[in-house]
Amino acid sequence: MRDPRRIAALAAAALLLAGGALAESAPYQSYTYDYRENIVITPAPYLPAAIVSGASLGITALNQPRDIAISDDGRLYIADSGNDRIVVTDASASRAVMIIDAFDNNGVADGFSAPMGVALSSDGQLYVADSKNRRIVVLDADGATLVKVFENPSHEALPDGFAFTPLRVAVDYAGRVYVIAQNMFQGIMVFEPDGGFTGFFGTINVTVSLWQRFWRAIASKQERANARLFVPTEFTGLDVDPYGFVYASNMDPQGQKAVRRLNPKGEDVAIAGVSGNLGGDLRVASDGPYSGVSRIVDVAYQGRGIYSLLDSQRGRVFTYDREGNLLYIFGGLGSQAGTFRSPAAIEYAKDGSGTLFALDYVRGDITVFRPTEYGALINEAVGLRFDGDETLAVGKWREALRLNENLELANAGIGKAYLAAGDNRNAMRYLKLGMSRYYYSIAFRRYRNEILKANLGWALTAAAALAVVVIAIRAAGRGRGESAGASETGMMDDG
Amino acid sequence: MVNAVDRGMGKTRAMVRVLSHPIDGFYEIRYREKGSVPLAITMAVLFSACYTANRIFAGFVVNDVDPRGVNGLMEMSGIFVTLALFSAGNWSVTCLLNGEGRYRDIVTVTGYALVPMIAAFALATIASQFIASGEEVFYTMILGCGVAWTAMLLLAGIMTVHNYTLLKTLATLALTMLAMFALVFFALLLADMIRQVYVFFYSIYVELTFRV
Repeated sequence: MRDPRRIAALAAAALLLAGGALAESAPYQSYTYDYRENIVITPAPYLPAAIVSGASLGITALNQPRDIAISDDGRLYIADSGNDRIVVTDASASRAVMIIDAFDNNGVADGFSAPMGVALSSDGQLYVADSKNRRIVVLDADGATLVKVFENPSHEALPDGFAFTPLRVAVDYAGRVYVIAQNMFQGIMVFEPDGGFTGFFGTINVTVSLWQRFWRAIASKQERANARLFVPTEFTGLDVDPYGFVYASNMDPQGQKAVRRLNPKGEDVAIAGVSGNLGGDLRVASDGPYSGVSRIVDVAYQGRGIYSLLDSQRGRVFTYDREGNLLYIFGGLGSQAGTFRSPAAIEYAKDGSGTLFALDYVRGDITVFRPTEYGALINEAVGLRFDGDETLAVGKWREALRLNENLELANAGIGKAYLAAGDNRNAMRYLKLGMSRYYYSIAFRRYRNEILKANLGWALTAAAALAVVVIAIRAAGRGRGESAGASETGMMDDG
Repeated sequence: MVNAVDRGMGKTRAMVRVLSHPIDGFYEIRYREKGSVPLAITMAVLFSACYTANRIFAGFVVNDVDPRGVNGLMEMSGIFVTLALFSAGNWSVTCLLNGEGRYRDIVTVTGYALVPMIAAFALATIASQFIASGEEVFYTMILGCGVAWTAMLLLAGIMTVHNYTLLKTLATLALTMLAMFALVFFALLLADMIRQVYVFFYSIYVELTFRV
């Protein structure tokens, strides 16, 4: 019984030491925003562990790769767009085990032309957004057998002469295919498993501000014709969670809402946290080289309600939980390992370790990020809350607090657990530290009731006794007053 | 000595009387010398204290102020500047519009009118300790009553000490706002000019130190 524990303790200590050593070498500043939207520097939640490139895989260099997908057993599928091929690595992403650049299309040798997106279905079939060939190619797990092709979508909703240029593709457990196509502002294109295009999904509505209306109203016809069209922003990235919800990112010019969580009906069910923001950085400079709202180019679902957004403007990864709380921010632009030049896609490993793969398309490599102790604790605690094990989450939150005393999430998490356990006083203390006004109020109301319940009995008894005593004294006084004369009653009137 | 204490008590009583009988009370303050400028300033100090306390100590459910950003001295000077601006602005306007009130009367009215707000902020701060979400209305009601009462007192006071009609009072109050802005503008202008004069003489000094 003893030995495994000791080993675990040693491993934890080793991890801690390693984490400490690497934290200092993190090439970026990790931070989060607190309740008041102040920047709070945190320990690094993720650190770069390896770089995967053409050289490290033992093949020719990747040329403008645009997307990655990861199989359940950990193999990495890279859409090597500039080389018109899909590169498949082994489970440790150290060697290329397969290069798919040709397949048999009904007896004719066929290939890809600028494949922009890749996705894997639950049964291992490979979906490729073959952009310049204007089709989605579905290959079997062996990478050579063609299963089906989605092409020439026709529908009354599509404009005449529509050129189908798929950029990103995702597939859910039922085999429904979601495609982001170029210049397709109506939304994500949905294809049924049999190949038929059925319609659009998750359309982003255009919002015109009052100010824009005003300028349009006073503009001349010529100016209006020259002005930019008010078109919805295009979607940029896709991911599907095991429950069939589609995560879709977009570049929001307001920096408010850069991700949607779409249910099977195409309705957005993403929840925003107290800040009301799901769009990356809350504080941005208005001018200068590092300014402007975050440009979210991809979304990846980690598991247990956690998902991450990739910002190409400043090369950062923003991770949120199911309730829209911002968990941590890391990453940056630069040339050191762990920073990006032009990040294009992110994907999480499917093994539950929280390992993140981030693709840089100009550099043509993939950075593998592994969670540090701090990041793993947050992932685990949030995951336990997602599973409904709030009491188990408390231990994780306490450890996270040890690493970052100012972590409001941890305080709120501990407070919620106390609340669930009925310890209202401690719940109030931690929820206040965690700036969770809603749950604090619940705890406070219960605490107030507790105090009332405990004390109302004797307080009412004491009040009743006091009333009896007062009445008795008055009665006695009146009795005396009748016998003693008018002076006492005169005083009574005064009072 | 006893006389002074008596007079002090009398003045405090006059202030309390103002709360329930503003027209009569302020009349006595103006024409029977029942007002006290030190008492009015004390009320201003008390108000800034209650206001700051409310910002720092009001219950978590109703309080969204970052306590790290509250500086008692800054709050106090802010309130004092506002009150001083108001009385100065009102005095400058009413001087030109046949107001009968002296500067000390205006200050007294301003200070005395704050009493309901002092009570409301203190009471609301205490009440907020027992409030859960959904019950904020009690808190805002207490504050709202205090503010309304203070506004009423201020209106009645300004009207009485200047012997104005209601309409003229409202008009002068609007003009007072403008006068306050003008005062701020001139104060900033003056400050900037003083700085420029200072810079001028400082550069002469620098020149001289280099040459002599």
